[in-house]
Amino acid sequence: MKDPSNRLSSPLQEFTHRVSLIFMLTLAAALLLLGRAETYVFDQARQVVTDVAAPLLELASRPVAATRRLVERTDEYAYVFDENEHLRDENAVLLEWKEKALRFEAKIARYEALLNVQVDPSISYVTGRVVGDKGGPFVETYIVNLGRDHGVSSGQAVVDSDGLIGRIVSTGDRASRILLLTDLNSRVPVVIEPTRYRAVLAGDNTPWPRVEYLPAGSGVAPGDRVVTSGHGGLMPAGLPVGVVIATDDGFLRVQTFSNRDRLDSVRVLQYEFPSEVLRQDPPLALQKPPEPEKSKPEAGKPKPLAVAPTPASATAPNGGQ
Amino acid sequence: MMDPIGPTSAVRAGRFVLLLLPFVIGVACVLLSFVPLSSVFGLQVAPLYALIVVYFWSIHQPDVLPPYAVFGIGLLYDLLSFGPIGLWALVFLATYGFVQSQRLVLLGRPFAMFWFGFVITAGFAGSLAWGMACLYNGQWIAVWPVVSQILATVFVFPVFVMLFSWASRSVNSSSS
Repeated sequence: MKDPSNRLSSPLQEFTHRVSLIFMLTLAAALLLLGRAETYVFDQARQVVTDVAAPLLELASRPVAATRRLVERTDEYAYVFDENEHLRDENAVLLEWKEKALRFEAKIARYEALLNVQVDPSISYVTGRVVGDKGGPFVETYIVNLGRDHGVSSGQAVVDSDGLIGRIVSTGDRASRILLLTDLNSRVPVVIEPTRYRAVLAGDNTPWPRVEYLPAGSGVAPGDRVVTSGHGGLMPAGLPVGVVIATDDGFLRVQTFSNRDRLDSVRVLQYEFPSEVLRQDPPLALQKPPEPEKSKPEAGKPKPLAVAPTPASATAPNGGQ
Repeated sequence: MMDPIGPTSAVRAGRFVLLLLPFVIGVACVLLSFVPLSSVFGLQVAPLYALIVVYFWSIHQPDVLPPYAVFGIGLLYDLLSFGPIGLWALVFLATYGFVQSQRLVLLGRPFAMFWFGFVITAGFAGSLAWGMACLYNGQWIAVWPVVSQILATVFVFPVFVMLFSWASRSVNSSSS
């Protein structure tokens, strides 16, 4: 057997090796520079590779997900009695909230009808599994096993059971990429409750994205809730994002509700901004229900079932009394 | 005098596998970086397994891991990580060149020395990648993710070196 230490001992071999290394270094540097100018081709290449790798990653991630569930379940068994007690208490509180929510729902429906509010269309969603971790230290993205075949497209919001995670930035046939809220390139318009101040949530590759463009003296304080504002029309308004926290660097940051370290099943919201709003004058919700005609049927002829439409101007609102 | 009898088909197959082995292991290591293991082990960023491949083979058998194979491994990592294309390819190639220049210092040394050499190499690769990412994005990027990735890589290094040594020995013995 040849001694491994004697490899590359021939001067010619060493020379070609060196030339090859310099050529490859130049090629990599050229790609890095080209990547800034020509993004479309590189994005396509990324998506093709992601699509090819997704089934392999999905296969490899199954035992990992099973192991994690096993670990979590073991933890749950250890605390099952405490957890049961906690859930009982929480259930009692939630039942009170349910009563309040039902009352508010009725009240809001009445106000919306009075104000002729155009309610957003219901949002459909598809559920998928995170199959690819972020891998690198400079980019905060995940791969999800949903693609164009499932109706997923770029810009759609991604949520888990706790709140917003990020949005889709690249879509293939079978897999897509989620840009997390924490990524350097993520910018999401948000509203801080209860003051309703608008801001932009900007990621900087730390676990806590920054709150930017907040007016001076806005009175936003740690503990305030952050939700999506819906501005720009990409995401529906009101998706829970997190709570404001103060950090040592002087920025207001957000602790997201979603835990990116435990992402497994996620939902991609297929939301379309309602650009065509029908004018209702007066609101349909307030229109008087059509009454059947009370004319005498002619002898020998059956009465037509069709009801004449009630003129809108003659209909009195019945909700404002 | 030349050997009148050529290598058997088993030996030829062994040599072919020997040539492909580091690249295939490199690709597998890149894919492994994207398997969501971090949630199980509580890691913020997966270790840079592919760097161990580059380090190990550029010291032990650089002729079976040529620069274009290192470029391929780095490019795959770039494409899958959604980062700047060419960044990790350039970092792996620069690391490969750096290790080659120190190859004779590290070859045949005790494992502790070999490991210490990797600590230096990983520090070099992490600093270079971080500096280039900052330049590319035109702003300071949080340094903690890359530090934690390098620390995790140094931590898992012995296990992977053991596996690579075993694979390399097995294929070398079948190809000779």
